[in-house]
Order: sequence, then structure tokens, then C-alpha cells
Amino acid sequence: MWTFAWRNLATRPLRTILALVGLSIPILGVLGLFSLSGGMRNLVGATLSQIQGAMILREGQPSPVFSDLPADLADTIRKVPGVSAVAPEVWKIAPSVEGQTLFGKTVKGLGSGGGSSQVARSLFDQVVIQGQDIVAHQGLKSAVFPKAMIKGPEGGRFLLPEDRGKNRVVISSKIAHDYPDPKTGKPHKVGDSLRIGNERFEIIGLYNTNSLVLDGVALMDIDTARKLLNVSKDKVSSIYVEATDPAKIDQVCENIEKAAPGVDARGVNEILSNFGDLMDQLDHFLFATVALALMVGVVGIINTMLMSTTERFGEFGVLRTNGWSRSNVLTLVTAESAYLGLLAGIVGFVLALVFTTVANQFITSTGLKLTITPWNALGGLTLSIVMGTLGGLYPAWKASRLVPMDAIRLGTR
Amino acid sequence: MIEVSDLHKSFRSGEGWIEALRGVTCHVPKGRFAFIVGPSGSGKSTLLYLMGALDRPTSGTIKVEGFDLTAMSEAEQNAYRRDKIGFIFQSFNLIGNLTAVENVLVPFLPRGLTPELRSRAEELLKDVGLGKRLSHRPRQLSGGEQQRVAIARALVKDPVLVLADEPTGELDSRTGDEIYRILRELQARRQTTLVVVTHDRRFITPDDLVLEIQDGELMNGEAKEPNGDLARVASSS
Ligand SMILES: Nc1ncnc2c1ncn2[C@@H]1O[C@H](COP(=O)(O)OP(=O)(O)OP(=O)(O)O)[C@@H](O)[C@H]1O
Ligand SMILES: [Mg+2]
Repeated sequence: MWTFAWRNLATRPLRTILALVGLSIPILGVLGLFSLSGGMRNLVGATLSQIQGAMILREGQPSPVFSDLPADLADTIRKVPGVSAVAPEVWKIAPSVEGQTLFGKTVKGLGSGGGSSQVARSLFDQVVIQGQDIVAHQGLKSAVFPKAMIKGPEGGRFLLPEDRGKNRVVISSKIAHDYPDPKTGKPHKVGDSLRIGNERFEIIGLYNTNSLVLDGVALMDIDTARKLLNVSKDKVSSIYVEATDPAKIDQVCENIEKAAPGVDARGVNEILSNFGDLMDQLDHFLFATVALALMVGVVGIINTMLMSTTERFGEFGVLRTNGWSRSNVLTLVTAESAYLGLLAGIVGFVLALVFTTVANQFITSTGLKLTITPWNALGGLTLSIVMGTLGGLYPAWKASRLVPMDAIRLGTR
Repeated sequence: MIEVSDLHKSFRSGEGWIEALRGVTCHVPKGRFAFIVGPSGSGKSTLLYLMGALDRPTSGTIKVEGFDLTAMSEAEQNAYRRDKIGFIFQSFNLIGNLTAVENVLVPFLPRGLTPELRSRAEELLKDVGLGKRLSHRPRQLSGGEQQRVAIARALVKDPVLVLADEPTGELDSRTGDEIYRILRELQARRQTTLVVVTHDRRFITPDDLVLEIQDGELMNGEAKEPNGDLARVASSS
């Protein structure tokens, strides 16, 4: 019976393929979108889990780039119980790099005649300056950037106390690549000079975190940054804090907020869980969109199966005449549409594999990686079979309800 | 074998009802070759299909081997059609996506096939001269060959009753002769009861039972011989 059902599909290849496309595209959508949201979750999760400890910002500011705090707050926080290390930082969006800003790049492009072949930049490609209190940062256990330095001579070295007050910078290989030497057009190397704003900096080191968010950061001494970004001596953007016991970081955050009103102290875990909620909502939204597409696919299956059963009434009459019960006919037709669903699921899965593989080629530099987990694949396949089966139920019911005599007469007319 | 009494069947048609059968009473003894003849639209097919439990009559009863078809449940009717009745149709009605052997085995597909069933089907196809066409699809077979597959399908269940609706209607006369030769042989060899609807009276022999229908009524029958071998007339044309 199952091979019979299979042949009934195979003898009408064009119609079968059209119905397949109708359902496999939404299945592709399901898999693609879930792999995207999964990829982003991984990306940001990987980013943030690299940072243990907590970030202290001005209350209500989402990002260190927009936050400012008094510089002497660091002393208050050092006295909070449970705090083991305190590292002040200045954060600002870079005024321009090699004369290019995110929004003003075209102006520069017109002026020099070069750079017109540049790919449009996304928000993540924006360079952000982090000026750090070098000595204080050396006391951190969980600092991300020093660990991400490229090994070997081409990676140079990380910031040292001797770099204080000097125009020296550590950048990611992504920045080196995105803002190449304007004369040669080649990516910057250690030892090159990099123009930020109106100042020249010596590149002393290259790092690579493989994270979309972190790889946009150019690191320098805190006072150098203040001078470049016009931040006064008594201000910092944020303060990075480590706890004596990393497991008690939430408790330490509460203590800090009590000791210093007007600040937000957020452990990395907290940020992660907020992000998880956001992604869950995104998933729901994606699911709603895809559900709509799925409905269209199911309507396509219903249409196909109705067409195919209507022209086979005579055949069902013959089957009934030979002792097939209503439920036998119902099973046959439902099996056909379940097969359609299975096929659509497989096609959708293969399309999604191709799609993510191709997409991954283009987004390697962002650190985002699309994957289809076995669970997603299995879920997509199940969904597809269920949808196919549902789409076949009504035509199957119609076919099984026929009185054999009427079916025979309809079929021979 | 078959006892039909006061059988009525009406169909809804647009605003009114069509009375396809209006009180048919007849009796076909076991092992007989019976013909249903009559003008087009007189109700021949309807009577035949009701004998095969393909629908329920509006009123009246049909008993086959003592079992009342009208009193059977849906499931019992399915089993009756599957195990007792062989159907043969004018337009062969084979399933296009199944091979000759599989078409013969159609009654057993839902329950699954066994090697015994398969060899029985092949045997039957050999009997009707299609031993070399076992895995052909219907569209690869001539009309006569298709009808022989249909006959094999009707016989695979070893039926007590074979019902045929104009089995030679779409065949040339030589192929038609061949089909009747097979059916006659079947009747002689297995004592199967046959009821055949036909327009073509040249296949009727003097020994056959002829039920002549006009306008949903039997023209020869109980009125003449209420208690005996009803409707026994020799062919007249
Ligand atoms: N499902 C149906 N709905 C409405 N009318 C029907 C239906 N089935 C049969 N009829 C009518 O019942 C009458 C008898 O039909 P039936 O098919 O039994 O005639 P027949 O003697 O077999 O004719 P033919 O020799 O042309 O095959 C016809 O008038 C036909 O139109
Ligand atoms: Mg007829």
C-alpha cells in the first residue's frame, strides 16, 4: 500500500514538485530562521561568556559608549566588600579611522577618488575606542583582549605600562583589514601607523576574538583616549569589576549599587539572560511569520491532493468494489500527502543546508555562524510531515466518503 | 443463491427523484449464467451494483447465499465484496499505477501480500493467457488483455458470484468471444454463479437465465412464475 501511494505521487511528477516547492520553502524558512537566531545566540553568548565579572555603568545607559561616571568612583568601589579588582575604562565611538567614519565615508571617498570599491559597512563594523587604565587592567584575571592576541611576531604585543600617554594602539585583525593602509590598499600590520581622528597611532599589536561585538574595539591607554576623545580627567565611561569569588558576582553587584547610587552594576550572567529573553521573543516572531508561510504551503498540498483525488474517483470506486474499506482509502490518500510532506521536509532541509553553507561564506568576518542542529532538522522534518498529513486529510476524507457505486459511475463517465 | 425481492432504488436528480428500480423481484440459482438485458437507462447497472453491495437500495431486500445484504454493516459489506464477489466492468477499471499482478492482488493490498497470494495471482494470469505480461502496466496492454487481467482480479478471491457490467462493451467481437469463452469455462469448471449485463444478445444461450428490464421493472419474471425458476427465457434476437 505504501509503495502504491508512492507511485501515485511519482506518476504525476510536475504536480508533485509544485506542491513540494510550496511546502519546502516555508520549511527552509523555519530552518533558516532558527539557525540564524541560534547563530546569534551563540555569537553573543560566546562574546559575553568571555567576560566574567561585572560592568558598572551610569544608571539607564545601555552601553559603555554612552555612559559617564566620575573617575573617583573607582576608589569607592574598591572598598565594597567582595571586590577584588577594579579597572576604569573610557569608551567612545572612534571619530574616524583612516579618514573614514561610518556615515561620512562617502565624503572622503569623493575627495580622494579612492575607497569607492569599499563594501558598505554595517553598524558592527564601527570602530569603538577603549582607553584602559593599563596598570589596573593588568590586575584582572578575566581580561579578554590580552588572551586574544595573535600568536607570533605578526601579533605584536598587548598594552604595557610603558605605553601610558603614548599614541599606541592595539586593534583587531578585522579592523586592520577593514581600514587598510590608504597608500598601498593592503591591511595594516604591526608597526604601521593608523590615523584615528586627526592623530597618528602606532599599531603595536593585533588581536582576534572572532566575535562580532568585540572585534570592533581599538585599545589604547586611558589618558591617550581622553585626549583623543575630549574626555576630561575626572570622567570615565565604565568600570570593570571582578569579585573575589566569581560565583558571588550578583551579590557584589548589589553591594556596589548600594554603595554608589546612580550606577548600574550588571553581571555578565544577567546580561546573558536578558539577551536570551530577547531572542526568545524574536523566535516567536519568526515562528509567526513562518507559520503563515506554512499555511500557504498546506493550502497548496490540499489543492494538489484534491485535484489528484477528484480525478481518481473511479479508481477509489474500484478499490472499494474490491473490498477496500473507507479507512483503507483514507489511509492511502493520507499516506500520499504524508509522503509529500516528508519529501518537502527533506528538500527544505537540503535547501537550508545549502543556504547556511553559502551564507556562512559571506559572514565569516562577523563571527556569526549559521548551523542547523539535528534537533532543528528533526523538528523541521516532523513539522513538514505533519503539515503534509493535515493537508491530505480533507481530500482523503472526501475520497473515502464516496459510495462505491457513485465512484464507479463518476470514474467511467 | 441470489434472491431479490421488491427492490426499489431512487436517485436524487436536480429537483426530483429518478426511480431507477421500481420493485424488482427475481431469483438466480447457484451456478447459473444469468443475463440482465434491457434498453439504456432501464436500471441494469443499478440492479447489478446493488447485488454487489456497492450501494444500499431505497427499499426491498437482496439475499445472497442467505445473507441479507441490506442488513449488513459497512464492515460486513466490505468483507462481502472482498471475499465473495468478483466485479468486471465495461471499461476494465484497472489501476494505472499497479502492474498486472498487483491489479489482480488489489483486494489483498490493505492486509498485505503473501508469496502464496502472489503465485496464485500469477497462476490466474497464466490461465487467462497473460503469463508473459505479469509486470506490465495497464496502459501497456490491449483492451482484451486488460479485461483478462480484470477477470483474473475477479477470480483471485475464488468468488461465489461474479458480476459483470457489459464486459465486452469496449472490445471488438473477436476479443468479446474470447472473454465469454473464459467466463463460460469458469462457470463450467468452478460452478460460479455469473450475472452479466449486456446489450449483445448473441452471447446468450438457451440454457441461460435472462432478466429483462425496462424502466426499472422486470418484464419477465414473478408475474408469470411466482414460485419457480423465474424469468427463464431463451434469447429472442
Ligand atoms: N447516481 C445517480 N444519480 C442520479 N441518477 C442516476 C444515478 N445513477 C443512475 N441514475 C439513473 O438511473 C437510471 C438507471 O441507470 P443505470 O445505469 O442502471 O441504467 P443502465 O440500464 O445500466 O443503462 P446503460 O445501458 O446505459 O448502462 C438512469 O436513468 C440513470 O440516469
Ligand atoms: Mg449500465
